[in-house]
Amino acid sequence: MRRLTAPFVSLVVFVAGWYALAYSLENNFATDDGSALIVPPPHRLFEGLNNRTIERILLATGISVATALAGLALAVMLGTALGILMASAKTVERAIWPWLIAVQVTPVIVLTPIIVRIFGPSFLARVFVTVLVAIFPMASNVLFGIRAIPQAWRDLFVLRKATPLQTVRELWFPAALPSFFAGLRVSSGLAVIGSIVGDFFFTRGDPGLGRLINYFFLDTRSGPMFVTAIIATLVGFTFFAGAGFLRKLFVDPWHKP
Amino acid sequence: MHMLEISAISRVFNAEVVVENVSLQVAEGEIVSIVGPSGCGKTTLLRIAAGLLTPTSGTVLLHAGRIGFVFQDSALLPWQNVHENAALLASDADKEFVETLLERTGLSGHRHKWPHELSGGMKMRLSLVRTLAMRPSVVLADEPFGALDQMTRQHLQDELLFLHSLHAFTILLVTHAIDEAVYLSDRVVTMSAAPGRFIRSTQVAFERPRNPDLRYSAEFAALCGRVADSLRRTSP
Repeated sequence: MRRLTAPFVSLVVFVAGWYALAYSLENNFATDDGSALIVPPPHRLFEGLNNRTIERILLATGISVATALAGLALAVMLGTALGILMASAKTVERAIWPWLIAVQVTPVIVLTPIIVRIFGPSFLARVFVTVLVAIFPMASNVLFGIRAIPQAWRDLFVLRKATPLQTVRELWFPAALPSFFAGLRVSSGLAVIGSIVGDFFFTRGDPGLGRLINYFFLDTRSGPMFVTAIIATLVGFTFFAGAGFLRKLFVDPWHKP
Repeated sequence: MHMLEISAISRVFNAEVVVENVSLQVAEGEIVSIVGPSGCGKTTLLRIAAGLLTPTSGTVLLHAGRIGFVFQDSALLPWQNVHENAALLASDADKEFVETLLERTGLSGHRHKWPHELSGGMKMRLSLVRTLAMRPSVVLADEPFGALDQMTRQHLQDELLFLHSLHAFTILLVTHAIDEAVYLSDRVVTMSAAPGRFIRSTQVAFERPRNPDLRYSAEFAALCGRVADSLRRTSP
């Protein structure tokens, strides 16, 4: 119970600030029907939502979640593979590492147009953008997790006469699991960001959350815009919490740092 | 018969001589301890003897069987429970032997626990079990009890001697505790500060099985004093 006090208080402060902002803004409410034009107060968030709008938001959420999930799954697999490859040979690391850094430091809105130009505005292109955004934490965490394996554990597998494959499967994998999940927590959030930001450039087909929020913005429909933003945040939260849940399941029982 | 023969081993790391021309023969069933100041290359020597590190020059000969290694901080795999850790190095045919060892060390009731749920003493016991489960002819131990409190340490020394009396293996042990070396060993070898060289070998003639009260006898103290004295003379 105690643990929930602080987050609850901060939520109350946030909502209070929101109300204060909504009612302190000049011309926030239209003179004819009284609808919110800039910032709708929390209890009037859902006013502008008709069935058609709800449908659009749900569809956009579906697209963005599917993109983020597919991108994250690929980023986890590719990132883990790259981490293992880099950990097994310094040469490989020197060859791959600069590219990972390059992908990491280039903003997603710079990468997306290039990818859309090459692949066309397909689902595959959306997923590819997400992979690029989410892969770095996976690769680097897996690499550092393997690097941090104590010498004694490595010696143990030498004494065991383990094959390289056995060593990767039975030592590298489990030993790197805590840092794998640390990477997953960051990557899962990034995958959601990647899928939504990347969405801006997909001008054909049904919009994801990114383009939909832009549409509501241009259409000055503040209510749906805020609802879409909140949904985007909740999707990110869910991904983050999912990663934490998996960690609790697979690592926390045995891992005591 | 010699079980382990270390001949003229030297090891150089980055142009620095860590171990210099060290030779040692360990007889079958014998317990030999190496004592020396920290950083004298004891661990390096042990890893070379285990085949985990190649010497710059010199040879290591193991005359029969396999080498087992007990690591400094027990080095249990945290994602494996007690039983899985115990069986890590054992062959499939030795499943029952693992059980026997767990029972003998009082660990069989904790088989499903994670390593982090064990006390320091239990962790070290499990580490010993894991090593013995591979039926080694020679056990190399790198300061195995260094991280334990005095009481636990003495318990484990006696347990190691008990297991040694049952399973007849040869032990080469590195320690910085002179009393531990004297209590456990047939022979104590002292090593100089870096570059590590052997300076003296002291026979320990106390009867086996060792009586735990031996630790508080005058002869024991006198022998420890002699070993300490030879160590002192080498340090600069």
